[in-house]
Order: sequence, then C-alpha cells, then structure tokens
Amino acid sequence: MKKKRVIVIGGGISGMEAATHLASMGYDVTLLEKDKELGGHLLGWEKLFPTMRMGKDVVEFLNKGITLSKVNVIRKAEIVNAVKTGEIFTVTLANGNKFESDAVIMATGYDLFDARKKEEYGYGIYDNVITSADLEEKFLSGKPILTSKGNVPKKIALVHCVGSRDEKVGNVYCSKVCCVTAVKQSIELKESIPGVDVYCLYMDLRMFGMHFETLYKEAQEKHAVNFIRGRLSEACENQDSSIIVKVEDTLAGKPLRMTVDMLVLMVGMVPSAGTVKVGKMLGLKFGPNGFLKSMDQHTMGTITNIPGVFIAGTCAAPRPINNVFVDARAAAITASSYLEGYDIEKRISYS
Amino acid sequence: MKVEGKQAIWKEYQKDIAGDKYFYVRSCVRQNFFPGSETTFLRIMREELGKDIYEHPCHTTCTGIGYHGDVVPLDTMMTVVARQFALMTEAGYQNLVPSCITSFGIYTEVLDTWHHFPEVEAKVREYLRKATGREFKIPQNLAHASDLIYKFRKEIAQNAKFKLVDKETGKPLKVVDHIGCHYSKMFPEKGVGGAEYPYVLAGMIEDWGGEVIDYPERRHCCGFGFRQYLVQANRGYSVACSHKKFESMEPYKPDMILTNCPGCPMFLDKWQYAIAEMEGKTYGKDGYGIPVLTYEELAGMVLGYDPWDLGLQVHQVSCEPLLDRIGIKYDPLKKYNDKNGVSLGVPEKPSVMKVS
Amino acid sequence: MSQLYNKLLEDVRFQEGIKACINCGTCTAICAAAEFYNYDPRIIADTVQSRNEEKIENLLKSETIWYCGECMSCKTRCPRGNAPGLIIMALRALSQELGYFVESEKGRQQLFMKRVVGGWILTYGYCLYLEGIGTNMYAEQGPIWDWRQKNWGKVLDRLGANYKGEGNGILRKIPEEALDEIRKIFEVTGGTARFEKIEKFSKEKAEAMNLKFDDGIDNEYFQHIYSHNNNTHNIE
Repeated sequence: MKKKRVIVIGGGISGMEAATHLASMGYDVTLLEKDKELGGHLLGWEKLFPTMRMGKDVVEFLNKGITLSKVNVIRKAEIVNAVKTGEIFTVTLANGNKFESDAVIMATGYDLFDARKKEEYGYGIYDNVITSADLEEKFLSGKPILTSKGNVPKKIALVHCVGSRDEKVGNVYCSKVCCVTAVKQSIELKESIPGVDVYCLYMDLRMFGMHFETLYKEAQEKHAVNFIRGRLSEACENQDSSIIVKVEDTLAGKPLRMTVDMLVLMVGMVPSAGTVKVGKMLGLKFGPNGFLKSMDQHTMGTITNIPGVFIAGTCAAPRPINNVFVDARAAAITASSYLEGYDIEKRISYS
Repeated sequence: MKVEGKQAIWKEYQKDIAGDKYFYVRSCVRQNFFPGSETTFLRIMREELGKDIYEHPCHTTCTGIGYHGDVVPLDTMMTVVARQFALMTEAGYQNLVPSCITSFGIYTEVLDTWHHFPEVEAKVREYLRKATGREFKIPQNLAHASDLIYKFRKEIAQNAKFKLVDKETGKPLKVVDHIGCHYSKMFPEKGVGGAEYPYVLAGMIEDWGGEVIDYPERRHCCGFGFRQYLVQANRGYSVACSHKKFESMEPYKPDMILTNCPGCPMFLDKWQYAIAEMEGKTYGKDGYGIPVLTYEELAGMVLGYDPWDLGLQVHQVSCEPLLDRIGIKYDPLKKYNDKNGVSLGVPEKPSVMKVS
Repeated sequence: MSQLYNKLLEDVRFQEGIKACINCGTCTAICAAAEFYNYDPRIIADTVQSRNEEKIENLLKSETIWYCGECMSCKTRCPRGNAPGLIIMALRALSQELGYFVESEKGRQQLFMKRVVGGWILTYGYCLYLEGIGTNMYAEQGPIWDWRQKNWGKVLDRLGANYKGEGNGILRKIPEEALDEIRKIFEVTGGTARFEKIEKFSKEKAEAMNLKFDDGIDNEYFQHIYSHNNNTHNIE
C-alpha cells in the first residue's frame, strides 16, 4: 500500500517535531520552510528559560529528529497556493513545484509584535530603545552590551507587555513568554554587565511554568533585579540619548520618572504573516485574536474546521517551547488517527 | 534620534483636510489674548491663498471652558455645538474650521459620541429644535485652523520673505513645538501625525526652514487645566506644568516655542514672566525669555507681515531677539502705537526678565 | 448594586470612560495632576469599579475629584481603552447634581466657575471676557496686560478686532437674539438647572460656614473659595 502523505508547513520547533513524529510513524512527510534554515525563532535565542540551556542544543535535537526520521525538507519554500480538493491537499510553491498530501500540519508560528506600533515607547526613533529580540541578538553575538554611543550602560529597564494585553494595539491577550523572558534577560544583563541596575516594569508577573517562580526569586535574591509594578506610559529621549521612563509605581501609588541608559521592550507574539496567508488559502477559521482556531478549546486542540488540517504550536496561541513540543506531538497523533480513519468528531455530544 | 522613525508614524496619520469653503468659528481665548493671530489667519487664508472662509456674526462660544470647568452640562454643550452646526448648514457650508483647540476637541468628541450613541444625537436635535427651531447637518470635514496652515505650508513657503534661519550663521533656528492637549490626545487619528509625534506644527517648522527640537517633556500639558488656572487657589498646578516644560527644554537652547492651541502660548508666555519674578530665573538668551509664537504669527512672520500687525507687541516675552536673528525689520518706535500711529504709552518693564 | 454607580452609568462619558481597569498605572504615570497633587487617577477608576455605594459617595464629596485638569492625556494611553478624565467629568457632574461638591474646598470653587465663566457665556457669548481679567486677580498676566487694560479698545482696534461692534470679527458684540438662543438652550438642556443648583448649595454652605454671601464676586464666601488653599493637597 502506498504511504500516506503529510505536508507540514513551517520549519520551526512545532513543524520540525510534528514532522519527525509523523515520519517515524511511517508517513511520507514533506516539511516546507520559507527560510534557508530550519529552526524558526529559536535560531535567534541564545539561552532558554528557565534552565539557561543553550537554544542551539534544542535546534540540534530537532534537526537530528528530522534527519533520523528522513523527513523530506524543502527550504526557501514560498507558498503561493494551498487547496483541498476532495480528500487531497495540493500546495503550490512560487517556483511552480506542487506537493500533494492526505493531511496538512499548520506550524506557521508567530511574528514578533512590531514595537514601532507602541509609538510612545519610541522604538525605531530613540537610539537606546531596543526589543527583547534585539537584546538576544546582542547576547548571541557574544559582544559586550553597549549603548548607542558605545558606553557601558549603568541602568537598564525592561518593559513587560509590549504589544500584549493592550487594546490600543488590538492585542488583548497575554503572550505568555515575555514575563519569564524579562526575568531571564535581567539575570543575563546582571551577569554580563558588572554593577548594572536592572528594572522590570510589569503589570502582573505571570510565572506560570514549572521553575519560572524559582527563576524570578533568583533574579531578586541573587541578582537584585528591581521589579516595579507599573506599566510604562511613555519613554522620552534626553539630550545625551539616555531614556526617561514614566511609570507609576502602583504599589507605592506614586508617579515615577527614571532615567535609564537602555530600554528593552519585551515584545509579544502576533499571528505570523504566513499563518494568516496559508490559513486563508486553506479556509481555516481564525479566533478573535487572529490566531488559528481549534474546534474546541478544551477537547479539540490541534483540530481545525477543515478535516485533515491540524495546528501545532504558536500559530494557534502564544506558547513557551515545552508546550510547543507537547503540542507538536499531539498534532502528529491527531493527524495520524485521522489518516487511519478515526473520526474524533463522533465523540462530540455537546453543541 | 532617528527622524525616519517619526516619518513612518507621520505617514500613518494622514488627515483629510478640505481644500476650500470653510465655516470659521472663533476662539474665546484667541480673541482675548492673541487677536492679531485670528486677523492674520484670515488675511493669509483670504489674501494669500484666495480661500472662501466664512464667519457668521451669530456664532458663539462652544462653551468649552465652561464644559471642561464642569459647570456646563454635556447636553448643554452638545446643543450649543449643534447650533453652530445649524448656522454652518444654513450658510451653505460643510467644512467646519474652529480656531480653538478645546473647541476642536469638543466638536470631535461630540461627533464621536453621536456616532457611538445615535440616541444622544437624536436627543440633541430635539433640544435644539425646542430651543431655537433650528436643524443642522453634520460637518463633512472638521479641521483645526492649524491643520489648514499645515495643509498650505508649502504655498506659504513659496511666498515667504523670510526663513527660520539665523542670518549670521545660516543655521536653522531651533524650534520647540507645543501641541494643545485636545488636538489629538483624545482622538489620535484626528490629528496630523497622531498623538505621540504630531506633525501639524513640525511640518510648518521644517518647510519654513527651522529645526524641530524634541525634548523629554514635549507632550506635557502647558498647565491650563481649566479650573486649575482660573481659580487662584489652584494656580500652582498651572505654573508647575509650564515650569516642568521650561526646565526640560532649557538644555536644548530653543530659539522659540511654537503652539497651535489658543491658551498654551498665553501660559507659556506669561508663566515665564511669573517664574522670573518668583525665582529670578529666565530661560532665553541674555536674561530674555523664550519667545512663544502662535502658528498664525509664525506664518505671518515668514510671509513678511509687520510684526506689530501680527500682535507680537502683546506678548510679555519680547520677540525682538527672534526677529533680529532672522533679520526681520521692524520699527521699535511703532510697537505700542494705536491704529493711527499715536503712542499708547509703554508698558512697565518686568523686574527680572529682560524685554526689548 | 450601588445607586450612585447607576446614576453614573446614565452619563455616556462614564460608559466611555471605564470598562474594566487593571490598575496598571499608565494613566497616573503621565497625569499632570498626579505630579502636583496627592492624586492618582488609577485609584479613581478602581474606586468606581468597586461599585461600592459608600466609597463612591466619599469620592463625590472628596477633594480628589477636583484635581484633574482634563487634559485627557490618560485617554491616549490606557491599554484597556478607559479614560479617567471622562470618569472625573461624570463624577463632577453628579457631585454638583447632588450638592456634594460643597463638602470639599476644591469642590466649592464651582461657584467661581459658574459665576465667572458661566456668567461670561450667558452675558457675552464668550467663555472668557477680557474685562473680567485683571492683574489684581491674575497677577501673572503681567505689565503687558496692565498696558492692554489701559487701552482695551485701541489695542484691539490696532490688531483688527471689532470690539463690541456690530457684524463679524474679534470680540464683536454677539447679537442679543443669538444670546437669547444660548440662554434658551441652557434652560432646555439642564444648564440653567445646574447653575441654580450650584447657587443653592453654595448659599447653604456659606451659611453653614458663617461666611457672608451675595450675588456678586466681592462677598466673603466667593473670595474665600477663590483664594483659600488649606495646603493639604500637594505632594511633598
């Protein structure tokens, strides 16, 4: 019997892990990745919370899976069409190549929130306002962290919830990973710049993951990171390019102005452009926040309104890496049971 | 600072501003404190640009200061606004141009409220009918008078006699722009450039040869605060706000402050005098203050109008040092004359701040 | 459910001004009033969303609600789309409706706003009128204003005004029939009723405080509310 075929769209963590498991189950799996390299956003991350292990270790783990299970990887794949005809999916690339399959895994991931949309924070205008991703790039480069004028910063503030929980930019949801990323990056800043003062400006600290709270405690106890409960209202530039931040210390009930040498914006997750594009091509439903919608929040995660299309990872909602792994494996299982003729929709008794 | 970042934001907030046939409503504060500015605005619109700008003798205050002083109820304010709309409709105009920023904010707020609560609009129509028998159409275009000068800034630049350039050094003058809070803080999409980096005045400054100064307290209120200035017991609020701004802009050594709200130039002008009297501190060069101009005055100035036609003589901070830097000629002996050239005497000099 | 909260809900500004507040302090961080007074707009939002009758009543009688300058900087920024400035406007309206405004020093100043600004509107059709502004009450207007005051008409004339004239122009005399329409609007829409309430409650308060009270602006009560400051309002 001919092997059943699966197309996995997106070669980040969720796509790689789902592809690996489906291929190891014996399916003919094609993984389409728009970039020249697999790994997605993880390639831009040096160390991972909460353990501080290297991001590249995880990429290596994922790549080994792809190699060992013999996934057919197509890089620089720009999708121009994706349709379901009868029971068969056809995905067409810009170079004219077509791929057919019996099931599709959407693993199209997230984009980072464009911090320029928070105009009052001055990203792209003020020289010493950077994003968490920019900071990570600096960590990855191995070079010292310096201000725009090449000085060692003495004071750095990290701003939580940039592009998350904010009706003004249209994103009302929590991006989940930014709080703990801020804690992680605070510790790294403290470790790499002797004597630096680090401030986290937060609304709520959502330390939901196992060991996140421990990391937070470590940031306080061992590294003396300052946590100020207040959302940044605006950032302004001084003549010397340092940044004035205006927040309320809500626990003290007082407006606070503070000058910092560098401001780091913890940018949240938004549905990726690819998620929107391919999702529309396939006729998938989107939730109120613009991410792909599963059939039921509790019982039908990974399962979409189009039979044969499954969703994995952050194209469905913001998630940390460990959840993405679990999610990718779940998508592989639900796809497999679909391909084996199991109809999960028969179990639905609610309306 | 990267200006390209601001330019990208400015592109996002392009506002539709009507090209001609305006119904003009005056500003209470402007008329009392800067009458020359409204005169200059109409002169530029009519004589320089050949626009049809109509004024109705029966229009009144929008009640803005009473409304934001909380003695005029919302329904009353909305019905007075509706009456202005009715006068506009009856005169055959559709494009409303308020001279005042508080009015502009109020008109914007009223239209937004009616959009979200159509039953409120219906109620106001009924009130107006009952009180005056008038009917009205909603304006097709609402633009503040500074939006118009912004729209025609390049035409003004073409006819300009002067540039915002130091005649000695050839360098652009450093100009602080101060935007009235109610211009775009409530409805960012209704202002040229939005709320965070408004471009309405910056565009004029750039096209007329100057350099815009961004300073940390740029967005802070001048300190009018309605009841906070008007009631003596609260006035510390007002001066504290202006003071904060002066301290923040001082290191940049601005040549002038440009404003688009009627009240702000008065506060930024007069509080410099008061701070000098109270603290002995002045913010301009050589013991002078920083000249504070309205956008109408600045437009008239670059067009080469006589400074005393613009009304620069009613400022407490002297504008002569600015005129001298640009190389604008003026007759100091005519500064305090009446229309017929008869001297009205000379104001007393402040005890601290230098004046010309 | 609080009766006062329900009354506030009748004001569209209240509906626009508060949905649900998360106490993040974005408003307070850039509030001009919070930098000067013991004032925290975040707490205003949090207090009204408690829907607690007693807390809202205390707020309506407090100094706190009179500190805001209505610059509306808070409206630009709130991540939940709230606007404490609009909440304040609804609270101030209700405080005057119920006569609670006379319970605070800052609230009592509404009589000044009514008689001066309200008076200018109904008498002249302008929110401000130069003849009521002198350096005796507004010292910061400075010597230039004294010079103008000596030469009201001539300076205005020099600058192209039509001071007290017929027809169009700056500070023209607004025709009596237009003013009548404005007054009629005040009657029909509750403006006059608001003014009468401010007068009534102020008069009662003046009696309770044992301060002389009449229709003008020179009486003891009026001068007291205009200039008195108990100096407990500010941050140190």
